[in-house]
Order: sequence, then structure tokens, then C-alpha cells
Amino acid sequence: MKKILAMLLVLTMILSLGAISAFAADEVTLDVIISEYGSYTREWWDGVFIPKFEEANPDIKLNLEVVSWNDLDAVVNTRISTGQQPDILNFNAFADFVADDLLMPAEEYASEELQAKFFPDFWTANTMDGTIWALPILASARGLYYNKDILEAAGVEVPTTWAEVKDACAKIKEYDPDIIPWSLDISNDEGQAAFSYYTWNNGGGFLDADGNWALNSTENVEAMTFMKELIDAGYVWPEYATATRYPQQDAFAAGSVAMIIGPNNLYDIAAGVNFGVASIPANEGKDPVNMGVCDLLVAFADEDAEEGRTEAISKFFDFFYDTDLYSEYMVYEGFLPVTSDSAALLAENAEQFKKGGPDGGEGNSEYFANFNEVLASCEFYPTYKVEWSDVMVAVTAAEQQIAEGADIQETLDAAQAEIVG
Amino acid sequence: MKKTTLRKAEPYVWILPSIILMVGMIVVPVITVFQMSMSEISRAGVIKGYNNFDNFRAIFKSATFWHTLQNTFVWTVVVVGLSTVLGFIIAMVLNQKFHGRKFVRAIVVFPWATSLIIQATIWKYIIDSQFGSLNVILKKLGIISQNINWTPSAAAYFAWECWIGIFVTIPFVTFCVLSGLQSIDDTYYEAAEIDGAGFWKKLTRITLPLLRPSLTVSTVLNIIYVFNSFPIIWTITKGDPADKTHTLATYIYKLSFFNGKAGQAAAVSVVGFVILCICAGVYMVLSLRAEKEEDK
Amino acid sequence: MNNSIRKHPWRRVFLYLFVFVLCIVILYPYFVMFTTAAKDRNEMYSLDMTVLPKEWKWSNFVEIWSAAPVLRYFLNSVLVSGGATIIAILCGIPAAYALSRMKFKGKSVFLGAVIMSQMFAPVVLLVGIYRLMMKISLVNNILGLILLNAAFNQAFAIWLLRGTFLSISPDMEQAAKIDGCNTVGSLIRVLIPMAAPGIVTTLIFVFINSWNEYTMALTLISTDVFKPITVGINVFYGLNMINWQYLFATSIFATIPVIILFLCIEKHLASGLTAGGVKG
Repeated sequence: MKKILAMLLVLTMILSLGAISAFAADEVTLDVIISEYGSYTREWWDGVFIPKFEEANPDIKLNLEVVSWNDLDAVVNTRISTGQQPDILNFNAFADFVADDLLMPAEEYASEELQAKFFPDFWTANTMDGTIWALPILASARGLYYNKDILEAAGVEVPTTWAEVKDACAKIKEYDPDIIPWSLDISNDEGQAAFSYYTWNNGGGFLDADGNWALNSTENVEAMTFMKELIDAGYVWPEYATATRYPQQDAFAAGSVAMIIGPNNLYDIAAGVNFGVASIPANEGKDPVNMGVCDLLVAFADEDAEEGRTEAISKFFDFFYDTDLYSEYMVYEGFLPVTSDSAALLAENAEQFKKGGPDGGEGNSEYFANFNEVLASCEFYPTYKVEWSDVMVAVTAAEQQIAEGADIQETLDAAQAEIVG
Repeated sequence: MKKTTLRKAEPYVWILPSIILMVGMIVVPVITVFQMSMSEISRAGVIKGYNNFDNFRAIFKSATFWHTLQNTFVWTVVVVGLSTVLGFIIAMVLNQKFHGRKFVRAIVVFPWATSLIIQATIWKYIIDSQFGSLNVILKKLGIISQNINWTPSAAAYFAWECWIGIFVTIPFVTFCVLSGLQSIDDTYYEAAEIDGAGFWKKLTRITLPLLRPSLTVSTVLNIIYVFNSFPIIWTITKGDPADKTHTLATYIYKLSFFNGKAGQAAAVSVVGFVILCICAGVYMVLSLRAEKEEDK
Repeated sequence: MNNSIRKHPWRRVFLYLFVFVLCIVILYPYFVMFTTAAKDRNEMYSLDMTVLPKEWKWSNFVEIWSAAPVLRYFLNSVLVSGGATIIAILCGIPAAYALSRMKFKGKSVFLGAVIMSQMFAPVVLLVGIYRLMMKISLVNNILGLILLNAAFNQAFAIWLLRGTFLSISPDMEQAAKIDGCNTVGSLIRVLIPMAAPGIVTTLIFVFINSWNEYTMALTLISTDVFKPITVGINVFYGLNMINWQYLFATSIFATIPVIILFLCIEKHLASGLTAGGVKG
């Protein structure tokens, strides 16, 4: 912000000398940090968004940086600790910022028109203490991807229950011991995802019915027992604690893994094998729950900001969520839209947009139609709870301890105690 | 008068650039780390002020911290110890005259010249149970028929990490010892042989005492480097499974950049300093005593 | 001891066997790196893995340059290592000179501090370094990395240079001074040329250390185009797509120059290190 102030100072000085043409008068610069969703994220923002936006809004300059997820935490953290937070940030959590009074309420910058565009559940998802603090940017839905050829050769149906999962794994292992029947990732990259897949599909999860942390519920203990059984039987990827989801996805795409729970963009990655997508299997008698992930955009508060800042932020969001532009971005990255107008457009005609990359093909309406539906039935992480960041670390550690042979109930009790105190 | 002050000040002018550089880039962060270790820092990174050693209390209560401390000790002792022994043996061999000695010496340099991150990445690829090169080779050679899971437990991961640590540390020891060996005069051995001394006697009476300076340098530097080593463990396990393969270096990084606990990370850093300072103190006392003995 | 080998031929057999095994063990990771770099991406996770590539895909070594800004990473590495080396030497030579030729109060304290500074590894200081760099606006900046690498290599540079200077008799410099040279003149005209091999060793050593530095670059640089090669190769371990073949192909390019540099100084390096430590 200092830069902007300095610039404004200079500008006013020049203005007072009467030596400037009128159009450069009220220029605002927005610092924006976008996270890197794929290999071509940077190209879209630099090559498509910024030129279009600055052309439409000559009085707003974008200082936009695309940062990889590996670096994002550290970048955000140090920016904040030195008081240099950006104006707009694309992230996966917001509660910590609210706890430090760093954010602007979304209703201050999201126009009514924009608010109406979001699916209602997504719009209200980021509520803390009755205030909405963030806008959803994009979503992905996780499902069970299975290799049709392997399942057929091993003579098994697509599993829908836990018992069927074990049975299928056993038969696949028998058919070819080199094939990994089931993919499991409890590395610290995304341990909370595995926790969700199993606990949610046993009626458990992070929270109880009242919205309080309940990491050590009976359902969760059962779910972790199931996970441990898969590990002990040798059905899972052996480096489950250190290998992230990404090599496992690659192995699925190479036909070396039979079943994997993955996001919708696995659709493109696994194009080389004959695969199908199904719901994540649930325990007997429980309803299957698919998992959705929804990332966010937040705007930081800035008390000494100049007049036009909030307005500029509003313009930025209005421009970004424009039906055509936003739809284009969704196809480009292969993610799912969170606005109803773009969802409708993409389910109808996604073919008019191109995927990212030099040989990116055109979008696929069927893909969007199917996944929009899946998304509607998904459950999401409780990112609106201030302890969420600690919970992610705690459940991942708990899973790894359980995998190493620790007592399940005790481990989850300890995790719960760590969070609730 | 003026001239003598100038002359007295001269040496300080000579060392000034070096001091500025080190104070600016090393001492200032050290001070910051000490400050942070006693401050409450929110996850988002806001420093909320002095918090009465809460960070230290939190880490001393954590089982992971004590386990990490133990690991750091094992890691340092095993890696420095074994690489010193192996590096010494290799140096003795390379000091012999044989065909291709130059070639072998050049090869021994390789692990030293390759960046740790690259070596660690290759080894991670080698020991992968499913697609790793080691299992593939053993299978093709017919030694095994089924893939072996080389890393079934945290201890196994840690053992591999130690091996990689040893692998990359050996060349440094070897070359320190080689340079020492080359400065030993052959006449010592000739005299000893006339007295009928055997291999062991020559080794313990001549070689080892004369190599002491070289071995001291390599051991001291290795202790510092290995103690602080980060890329190997970070690449292979990131301290997992269940935080059981951390050393202080990786634990600090994880606390700070994964768990969002910068204050506690700084506290662990301070513990690390204290340990190294104690080691340095012990070393100074020992070397001073040794010097005095030599003077007698 | 050479005699004993000559006396026992079976010891020779044992010697060659030992050396053979040693070479195999050391070269094995490089063999893996090389063969993997030449494999097709589709081979990486397939069920029928082979030791050698099914088809040698030399094009990988060409493709890396366009698949990611690899050339830029190399340039950054050269900039960081080169810059750090120059600064470390420019600060190190006067300090080593003072330490080897002059008597002054606090000399041993300074020498001790230099050795102590070795103990504060960057990783332990990362949180502090990050804040410092943020304060002086050098985060995500190559200049920041240059200064840091120079500082963390300062101790080594001083150590090596002091050892070299001590091994050279001060007589020549005194002679030069009698001929009317001042201290700076005698340092530049007499000592530096005589110490050239040691200085070159130091140069290369600092260069290599900075080239291989990983932790600080990992934390401080987030913009792709500023990344040095050690951090940059992570781009091939990307989300949704792991390109082991590119990663290893790039690693080979990153390793070869360093190995060549190392071979150049191999003879002097260890002797320089031990000299600096012993004399004093």
C-alpha cells in the first residue's frame, strides 16, 4: 500500500502543477495473489485476464502474482507478518485471517448481482460469527475412479460398500500381485482428505450434529479401523505416509493402480486407461457421501486505503465472475463452477472453450453436467472453524500414528484433546 | 600519535567487510529467532508480543520434540561415525598404487559434487517399493520374485536416510584423510618395518596419530553439517510417518511452514543453538587441553 | 604399506574387488538418474518396469528446455553462485589477510566467531532470515540469495584463504614493502598471485556450495523465474503430473558442471581445508 500512497502523492503533486492530462487521475493498484491450479494457470491470468481487465478498467492496475501451492502458505504468512498482505488472495482457508481481524466482510465488496450468482450453499459456506468472509472461487468433486479392465479381469464389480472394497482388493491382489488394488494417501499433503473419505462414509466426520469438533467419535474409530485393515492386508500403496496423491494418480493413469479416490480433473489425467467413476464406498447401511473441495477468494482490510480501493475490488470480482470469462477459466483449469449461470452454460455448451496447455482440447459439456450434479451432493471441509488448520495437521498425524500401529481410540482421543484442549 | 591509532585501527578495517556481511545476514536473523522464540505468533503470522516462554513449554511437553532430539543425536552420531570409518578405509585404499586410481578418485568425488536435493530425489526413486529401480534390478537379476517394501516402518525410512547421509558424507572424509596421508613421510613406515611392526601397529602408532588433525577437521565440520542437514530427510519423508523421522532441522521447518507455529519453531531453533554451543564448548576445552599437552 | 601389498598378491585381488564394489555403489544412483532420464514418461509407472529404457528417448534432454524455464533456472543459479562467490571472496581476502599477517586485539575472538557462524545453518535460522529479508524487501529477490550465500560461505572462505596465506612466507611481501609498496599493493601484487591456487580453490568451493544450496532458495523464492536450478527442478514434480524423466534429465545438466569444477580442485581442496584448521 505504501507504494500506492507514494504514487498518489506524486500524482497529486504533478496534478497541482497542472501538468497532467485528466485520464490518469485516480489510478488504483490491486495486489492480487492467485494460486497455481495447473501448469498453465499463469498463462491464463497473464495472457487473458489481465489484458482484458485492464482494458475494461483503465483506472485499475493489477499487480497479480501466481504462486504455487507449495509456496503459498509461506508467502501469505510472511506477507501478513510484515504487514504487506495483498488486496485479494486466492486460498483454501480464511478462519485464521478472521481471527486476526485481517479480512473485509464479503458483503462490503460483492455486489448484490454477484451474490445472487453463487449457488446459495457456496455463498453462505464461508460464514463465521454470522458474517460471510470469502467468495468461493472454484470447486472440485472427489469420486471413486476404477480401472474397468482390471476389475473385469479380476472378476469383481465396482464396490459400493466397505465389505465389497475388501473383497475386490483381495481378488485384484490374487489376479496380479503387482497391481495396487487401492490408493491411500495419508501424507501431510492431504491427510485430511483420506480422513473425510472414510469417516463421512460411516456417518462420522470432523463435527458432531451441533457443529462441535468430534474427532474421536465411535464412527470415526470404526472408519480408521477399516483404513488400518486395508493397510494391514497390503491392499494400499505402500508409501501411503510419504507419497502424495499425485504419483498415485499417475500410477492409476498407467494402469498400475486399480482404484483411487480422486478429484474430477483425474478425468483428463487418466485418459489413457479405460476407467469409470462411482461414488466413494460407504460402510454397510450408511449413505455414501462424496467429498467436495472449494477454494476461496478473500479481500484483506486496509484502513489507510485510498478512496477507490473497495470499489476496485468489487470491479475485479464482477469482472472475474462474468459468465463467459469465468466459464472459460473453469474449462481451462478443469474445475467446477460455483456460480449458477456458468454451471448452466457449461452443462449446455462447454465446447466453445479450450482447456489449458498448448494441445488443450475443447471443453466437455457432459463432464460438467455430471460433475455439477455430483457437486450438489458433496460434503465440504469445515473451513469456517478457526481450529480447522490445526485439525488438518492433527488428523493427518493421527492417521499416520494409526498406520504405524498406535491404538485407534487413544490416538483419536489425543487428537480431539489437542484441538478442544 | 595519529599514525599509531590509524595503524592500530588498520586490522579492523581489513576485517570490516566480512564482519558487516556476517552480522547483517547471520547475527540479525539469530537475534530475530531469539525474539520470536519468546513471542506469541498467530498462524497468519502476526506477532502478538512476549509470551513468557510458552513456546518452550509447549515444545518440551511435546513427545515429538523429544523423539526428534533423540533422532538428531542418532542421525549425527551414525552418519558422522560411519562415514568417518568408511571414508577412512576408502582413503587408505585409494592411497595405494593401483591401475585406475585416478579414475576411482574422480568417481569418489561424485556424491560430494551432486546437490543433496538431487541425490535424495534419486534415492527416493530407487527405494520406491513398487516402481523403484532397486526392486526392478533385483527382480530382473532373479534375486527376488516379489517386490520388497524397503520402507515398511518409520525406523526403516530413517535407516535409509542415514545411509544416504553416509553416502554423501564419505567423499569429504576420504579427501581430508587422503590429504593427510599424502603428507606422511614414507620413512616412518620404513623405519617401523625394520623394527618388525605389523599392519595394526603401523596403523595405530603412525597413521592415526599423524592423521589426527585431518580427522579432527573433517569430524568437526561434519558434525555441524550433518546436525543441520535438511534436504535428505525433507525429500524422503518430510519427517513422517507420524513425525518419527524428524531431526531438529526438518522439525523446525515443519513447525514453521506446515503447522503454522513459528514461535515454537523459533524455540526449537534456540534449543538447536544451545546444543551446538555446548558441543563447541566441549571441543574448545578439549583442543586447548591437547595444545597444552603438546607444549609440554 | 605399499610393500606389504606387493608381497601378498591376494591382497591385490582384494584391493581390486573393493574398488570395484565401491565404484558400483557410487555410480549406481547416477546410472539410475541417467537411464530414467532417457525413458519415456509412459514407462514410469507401468507394471513391467525395466532397468534400461525400452526405447532410449534422447529427446527428453532437449524437451526440458522448452517444458519449463530451465535455462532461466540455470542463469539464476549462475547469478546467485557467481555473485555470492565474488562477494565472499572480496570480503574474505582482506579478513584472511588480517588474520594471517597482523596482530590485533580480538583476533582470536573474531576467528572463534567465524567458526561459530558455521554452526548457524540457514535452516535453523530460516524464520529469522525470512523476516530480515522481508524487512529489507529482498524476499523473492536474487540479490537476497546472493548476500545470504556469501554470508553463509564467509567462514569457509576465510578458513581456506587464511590457511593458504599462512602457508606462504611473508618475506616476499616485506621485500615489496621495502621497495615502496604499501600494504594493499603488496597484497595485490605479491600475495594474491602467489596464493592463486588457494584462491581459485576457495572460489570454486564457494561457487559449488551456493550452486547446491536448497533450503534458503526454497523458502525465499516463490516466483518461478527467480528460482535457481535446485528449486526449479521441482517444477517437474508438479501437481497432476510427475515427469521423472525431465526431472532427472535436468538434474544431469545441473550436476555435470559441478563435477567438472570439483575435479579441477580435487587435489587442493582437502589440503586447503586441513591447512586452515591446523595452523593457527
